[in-house]
Amino acid sequence: MTPRTLTRDGSRIERLSRRNRRIIAAATLLGLPAMFAWSAIMAGTSVPSVVWGPVTFMLIGITLVGSLVLYRFIQHRADMPGAGLDERQRQLRDAAWILSYEILAAVVVAAVAIAAVAVLGFGHPIVLDANLMSAVAISVGVLLPLLPAAALAAIEPDPPTEI
Amino acid sequence: MARIAERVEPILHNRLAVLRAERGLSRQELADALGVNYQTIGYLERSEYNPSLDLALRTAEYFGLPVEAIFSRRPFALMSDQLYASTTRADTANG
Repeated sequence: MTPRTLTRDGSRIERLSRRNRRIIAAATLLGLPAMFAWSAIMAGTSVPSVVWGPVTFMLIGITLVGSLVLYRFIQHRADMPGAGLDERQRQLRDAAWILSYEILAAVVVAAVAIAAVAVLGFGHPIVLDANLMSAVAISVGVLLPLLPAAALAAIEPDPPTEI
Repeated sequence: MARIAERVEPILHNRLAVLRAERGLSRQELADALGVNYQTIGYLERSEYNPSLDLALRTAEYFGLPVEAIFSRRPFALMSDQLYASTTRADTANG
């Protein structure tokens, strides 16, 4: 079983610094929710679609391109059961899954807390209409599978340069 | 996020880089011999990753040395110092 290897002639994506990977991971995870938030804000205004469109596509593009970059960098190293990973890579993968769980738990708790404050504190009803449900479903469907890869890309240290 | 990546285990010192240089091995060659990724050798050499007992024993077996000659909880003395000290002792003993 050969451990997954980043080769010396690897692409620029494979040589991304941890700082850049963290920026890409954060932007990728926030792009899609930001697009839905932007669309929701724009829906309540009379701003022309010429303003709405480019920003919307840019935010979708950030998530799309970012996820491609992250998947290219990770190369299935965040997958379970992780055949072909060595012990350090498995340990890092497990840490990424733990971080994913922590992020997911924090997001769920924050969402519930915001909803509770909105409903109980301000008496503002939350309408579970098709728009909201499709936004949640698309965000969860796209971002949840991406979360471990994004977490792994964010925590993996910069590799040693010498081969 | 940094909390996860933070080091929690104590640093394990090692002589991997010296042993590898002595034998003229690249990280890739040593990694192939031990069945790990070449980056793992780099992290081991920089003491940024502590090997499992299995990997430590495989490393010792590969170099033909006791495991404590390669890995230690305390910093190793410089090999040049040890070599020079033993040479000096031998010269003194031989008169």
